[in-house]
Amino acid sequence: MSKQRSRQYKARIDQALAAPRLQETLHRFADAYLASRENAFAGHDFQALRAGIAAMKDDVRDRREEYLAQFTRNAEAAGATVTLARTAEEANAYIVSLARQRGVRLVVKSKSMASEEIHLNRALQEAGIEALETDLGEWIIQLAGQRPSHMVMPAIHMTKEEVAELFGKVTGKVEPAAIPHLVQVAREQLRQGYLNAGMGISGANIAVAETGGLALITNEGNARLVATLPKIHVALVGIEKLVPTLEDAHRVIDVLPKNATGQLITSYVSWIRGAVPCGEGRKELHIVLLDNGRGALAESPHCRDALRCIKCGACANVCPVYQTVGGHVFGHIYISAIGIILTAFFHGLENAAELVRACIGCRACVAVCPSGIDLESIILHLREVLGEEEGIGAGKALVFKRIMRNRALFHTMIRTASLLQKPVTRGERTIRHLPLFFAGLTEWRSLPAIADRPLRDQWSGIAQRVEKPRYKVAFFAGCLNDFVYPELGRDLVKVLNHLGVTVSFPREQNCCGVPALYSGDRETATVLAEQNVAALLAGNPDFVVTTCPTCTMALQRDFVDLLRDHPRWAARAEQLAAITIDVSRFIVEKLDGGSMLQGLAAPEKVTYHDSCHLKRGAGVWREPRRLLADSGFELVEMAHADRCCGFGGSYSFTSHPDIARHILNDKVVDIEKSGATCVAMDCPGCLMQIRGGLDKQEKPVRAAHTLQLLAELLPPEKS
Amino acid sequence: MTGAFLAALEKVGGVAVCCGTLQQAVACLAERVRGPLLLPPSPSLQRLDLAGQLRAAGVEVVSADFHQRAPAAGAGLTGANFAIAATGTVVLESTAEATRLATTLPEQHFVLLDPRKIVADSSAAVPLLRQLHARLPQTFLAYITGPSRTADIERVLTIGVHGPKELYVLLCEGVSDDLLES
Repeated sequence: MSKQRSRQYKARIDQALAAPRLQETLHRFADAYLASRENAFAGHDFQALRAGIAAMKDDVRDRREEYLAQFTRNAEAAGATVTLARTAEEANAYIVSLARQRGVRLVVKSKSMASEEIHLNRALQEAGIEALETDLGEWIIQLAGQRPSHMVMPAIHMTKEEVAELFGKVTGKVEPAAIPHLVQVAREQLRQGYLNAGMGISGANIAVAETGGLALITNEGNARLVATLPKIHVALVGIEKLVPTLEDAHRVIDVLPKNATGQLITSYVSWIRGAVPCGEGRKELHIVLLDNGRGALAESPHCRDALRCIKCGACANVCPVYQTVGGHVFGHIYISAIGIILTAFFHGLENAAELVRACIGCRACVAVCPSGIDLESIILHLREVLGEEEGIGAGKALVFKRIMRNRALFHTMIRTASLLQKPVTRGERTIRHLPLFFAGLTEWRSLPAIADRPLRDQWSGIAQRVEKPRYKVAFFAGCLNDFVYPELGRDLVKVLNHLGVTVSFPREQNCCGVPALYSGDRETATVLAEQNVAALLAGNPDFVVTTCPTCTMALQRDFVDLLRDHPRWAARAEQLAAITIDVSRFIVEKLDGGSMLQGLAAPEKVTYHDSCHLKRGAGVWREPRRLLADSGFELVEMAHADRCCGFGGSYSFTSHPDIARHILNDKVVDIEKSGATCVAMDCPGCLMQIRGGLDKQEKPVRAAHTLQLLAELLPPEKS
Repeated sequence: MTGAFLAALEKVGGVAVCCGTLQQAVACLAERVRGPLLLPPSPSLQRLDLAGQLRAAGVEVVSADFHQRAPAAGAGLTGANFAIAATGTVVLESTAEATRLATTLPEQHFVLLDPRKIVADSSAAVPLLRQLHARLPQTFLAYITGPSRTADIERVLTIGVHGPKELYVLLCEGVSDDLLES
């Protein structure tokens, strides 16, 4: 790993975290976005729309040669000149040489991420050609000498005061920081540019093979001017923008504005085909189709879905990491989740290396992606590739490869650790301070101590009396339940026994492997998957129940993926996935537990925190709410209930504790504002994070696993 | 359909004016137009001699030298090929440069739309789009939905950045019922 690169990256994070206005702006934006997006999609079936885009884009990816040829044929028949640039250099060289040949001194540009991608402005400038950005946001960042911090709203990180100062330098006057005034200044200042420029350069949102035409989806009207006034129009178009037909173009138009800004449609959609009239003659239209890594991306079995992207920017809008540090930290040229993947393929893996680790894995982006891209899975894959190329760090390698794979050794070491922490805990179950260089870990949240006796060592002492059990289930505890919160295991047995189910604890179960997998150590994750499949299926249980949603995703998704090509394991992994179920869903769906627990609770105000992997991984969010409400709790929703709490496993301990701390603070604020006296959740990781944050900030709100709340309603265990 | 179109247009900041007769539309234009009015060639508007009627009403109408006159013009007037109710969108074939200049540079854009040309949604628009493509070898087709807008500074919606600040749709029956003619 490049130490210098990491240091620079950490410095950028610190700088962003020290700018509270940036976070305020991005948080406000995120809230407004969610509300307007919901309105825009009202009455539309988002799942169906995105399935349509995904299928269409996959078809284009597979038959891209054919569609490219069709597009080129039709565009040329309409008088356009079409060229395919394999690299950024080829695209820049073509455009620069065209401008030189035609004697162009000034170019006006409308917003084009592809031109940012290839650093076109720099290439033009080096050739002595002035490039004037005309999109308001792009012009602002051009004046500031920055790069876009968002694909759709490039200057979202800047305040009106900063913009007023920049504009003042252009006009030579003091410009008041009133937004309508600033917009008028831009209108007046840029107007002459369109009239003087010898060339207009735009991107395109869509290239239609059927017609050989382009579609530009815009709001400001500058792209229409860029495409109309100068004699020459150059459109720089990534080859992933191809669609087969006008119907397919409308799939994109019907979704992109809704998902990008919550608009039903933008002010303008311009369909441009061929060399349209211009002055006395015809316009010169050059279409530069850009590959620059897209072909390679299309050939990558793990990553190719990223080519479905329609560049709406929604993955940034909902990302808690983006909201915390902005696009200048969480991005290269392309930002946020999709930016990580595109950077790796367009700008090289080394430019994506830090970003690949900056994703907290909450899957908020996956839920809103209009093309159904599983961004998190692709980012995890890139993390594995990086792990193989750069290593995962000596410490992690030792833990994963030498210790975790040997279950007995791993568990012995955790037990030993529980003894070593004694002087720190002084008999309490919560660590508020740690000595010396570990102190940072408890600066902003208390941490639970490792239990004296893990669940596995308590299990034989937990009495289970169930006459004629309805089901026999095995419990996959995961490390946190086993070693940190063993009491949750007791709660699970108590509740399930009450509902007529017996629970076994297969002793050979080991860590689910997620910490290794998410760190890029696929090999260890595979070994652990094999151990767990064997352990959990051994007793032939009706179901395997889980209380940790990340473990649930490992059992349901990752094991199947990891063992897919192993003849001995593939079918058994599938079998395990099929019987694995989150315990709250199990209670609701298989046991009708809601009615059996009806009215037992006092009407305490409880709010519910959705764990990322439970809601967006396992698709469970109604079930625990129903259990709580049926039991008699008064359920009050907090704002952003399904926003990540900032735990993210090692994310909050080692890789990005400072970002995690900010995300946790947001959650604590939302919990407090809900007015609840208790926050329920179904993930021991979230529990560790949220309970630690509430405790450290001395908030009078209890954090509990739903199972704990249910168990408290039942009569005490007799053992 | 007209009701849905009007509602959607209003939501995006466009102004609809229902005109019972062409005379009302002319009067409305005469009242609202600020500065010279660009009137690019349009089969339906020419048939109705809009230019003559507007001049008679005292409007300074520009119908030639668009490239020179456009930067200082106050308004542009066009017909519409058709409109889309679901989004409040006017669809205007703008292949002629004069049409593009008249709808991009001035602060006001007036559209004379026959309500019989309103279709339901984008799926009804696509076959028409295809026919428009088939009629001409080169095409510049525009979906226009409300005035020009931006939210690039602090995400505050602001109307009228580079394109028209005002979009008026004058609904007037009898202009044209040909969905391919502007």
